[in-house]
Amino acid sequence: MAKIECLHYEAEAPVSPGGQDYPRALDLPPDAGRMGLEGKESLFQAMAKAVVDMDEDSSARLSEEAVRRRYDAFEAIDQGLTKGMEQAGRLFEEEEYFVPELLLCADAMDAGVEVLKPHIKKVDEEAKCRIVLGVISGDTHDIGKNLVKLMLNSAGFEVIDLGRDVDPEIFIDRAQEAGARIIMISSLMTTTMEGMLDVVKILKKRGLRDQFKVAVGGGPVSQAFADRIGADAYSPNANHAVRLAARLSVELAGDGTGELAGNL
Amino acid sequence: MDLISPKQRLLDALAGRPVDRPPVICPGGMMNAAVVEVMAGRKHALPAAHHKAELMSGLAADVCRETGFENFGLPFCLTVEAEALGSGIDYGTLKCEPKIKAEPFASVDQFEFMPKKAIEKNYRARAVVESLGALRKSEPDVPAIGGLTGPLSAAASLVDPMAFLKELRKKKDVAHRVLDYVTGQLIDYASALVEGGVDVICIADPTATGEILGPKIFAEYAVVYLNRIIDAIHAQNVPVIVHICGNVRAIRKELARLGGDALSVDSMVNLKALKYALPGLTTMGNLSTYILEFGDEGKVIRASNGLLMQNIDILAPACGLSTSTPLANIRAFTSAVREGLATA
Repeated sequence: MAKIECLHYEAEAPVSPGGQDYPRALDLPPDAGRMGLEGKESLFQAMAKAVVDMDEDSSARLSEEAVRRRYDAFEAIDQGLTKGMEQAGRLFEEEEYFVPELLLCADAMDAGVEVLKPHIKKVDEEAKCRIVLGVISGDTHDIGKNLVKLMLNSAGFEVIDLGRDVDPEIFIDRAQEAGARIIMISSLMTTTMEGMLDVVKILKKRGLRDQFKVAVGGGPVSQAFADRIGADAYSPNANHAVRLAARLSVELAGDGTGELAGNL
Repeated sequence: MDLISPKQRLLDALAGRPVDRPPVICPGGMMNAAVVEVMAGRKHALPAAHHKAELMSGLAADVCRETGFENFGLPFCLTVEAEALGSGIDYGTLKCEPKIKAEPFASVDQFEFMPKKAIEKNYRARAVVESLGALRKSEPDVPAIGGLTGPLSAAASLVDPMAFLKELRKKKDVAHRVLDYVTGQLIDYASALVEGGVDVICIADPTATGEILGPKIFAEYAVVYLNRIIDAIHAQNVPVIVHICGNVRAIRKELARLGGDALSVDSMVNLKALKYALPGLTTMGNLSTYILEFGDEGKVIRASNGLLMQNIDILAPACGLSTSTPLANIRAFTSAVREGLATA
């Protein structure tokens, strides 16, 4: 989907006194059909649009509408809200959206997820790799890390967030405890980047290097740096981190130990 | 032998006057050169030097002498103003710079305002003012640069940054009120620095990047409040350097409206192209701190010569130096700039 639009709906929406468009329409769910939201697809598209538009209220109300119509809650998240977040991620990469916008999109997504979560029956989707994520020790700048987390979460990855100022050993200990096979480390300061090297070194020392994929990112970090410290991957931004996690998951699954995550 | 003093050269460069060669500086604050090799085994070392004026000025003098950077630059962190305005600080170690332990306010709505001139009441801020004054007196030929945290970074050190960034869009009125207040406090502190005796003020505002804020919010907040501070400092006849982190591609137009005397940028920015895009801009930068840390002397010299050939007005590291940067590499950088004229 190149662009999320609800043209049909917008064309028919009555003009509301408050100047608002579709959120107002949802005050009248019985009329939803008339509003152009009659089908599942159009409701999901409107949910996606609410996320892209950073509109928490609409996201929640459209999600309530999905629940009322007994749509599958997981599908509503996956085909509605998540699509919106993907679009937001693309806009972020294209420099249409910046950090404030992306954070507000995530809030809108969360507002919808809150509504839908209690109604999720079961997750059919194959489990994606678990990921531990944190900002390396000495560094308390976690905006980038938080963006990566929310993009990974919205893409369906289970993320164990270690927070900021995390010691290299902790990344490994917690990954082992949680059965996570991907370690993502962020740093904003040149002064703390060396801690990323320590994670790789400690993995080697403990004979665990093959068990984990290590990905690094953050302001001063580059592909060259990732190569130098022997990390498996580098991500230049939060949206790219999702593709990276998907790739690393596939690589892990392909190495014959892909089951490990589930068994630990 | 240099015919003019480092101070005169820097002031000339900042004023856009011709110079014999560009100055090579490391302005202090976020961009300081207190690397471990300068401090290890010495009396003037961090973290103690964050607290006491004698140690602070001693370390600034050690840094200047050992690295070859042609200035004194204080403080050695970006936390002085935030601490004074209410943040808890972890002062770090010899190897690790101070950081905000926790922002005191979860939202701009909960912000607590202090009376005017709050920053200079903080003992570390006073130590900075005192040290710069003392350094300037003892070595009048070396420019003393006072580092000032930019308004958005200071505000984002007081309010939880994730909430703060959202509120720049969602709660504009309150966000502006907070920034107005922080800016006022920074102006008061800048005046204290000027009265104490600084030759130049360098504002670093790492939260105010094009990459984080985007052009609209950068224009609405960063340009407005940075310019207010710059104007207030200019009114006291002191030049101002502004450092903007990250890629500036998205905010080139907005940068043209910044009123500083020199613009310092990160290593990914092509300064030659930026100079071309913004004619008349006095450029500062932008030797990769990655090369400085991990490169060898040859690589550093090649990179320095590259910057010299681009006619960058003031040479400096592109970002905060890692404390494990080898002194030999820093010296290779400063020497390459000093000798650049002779070989050119």
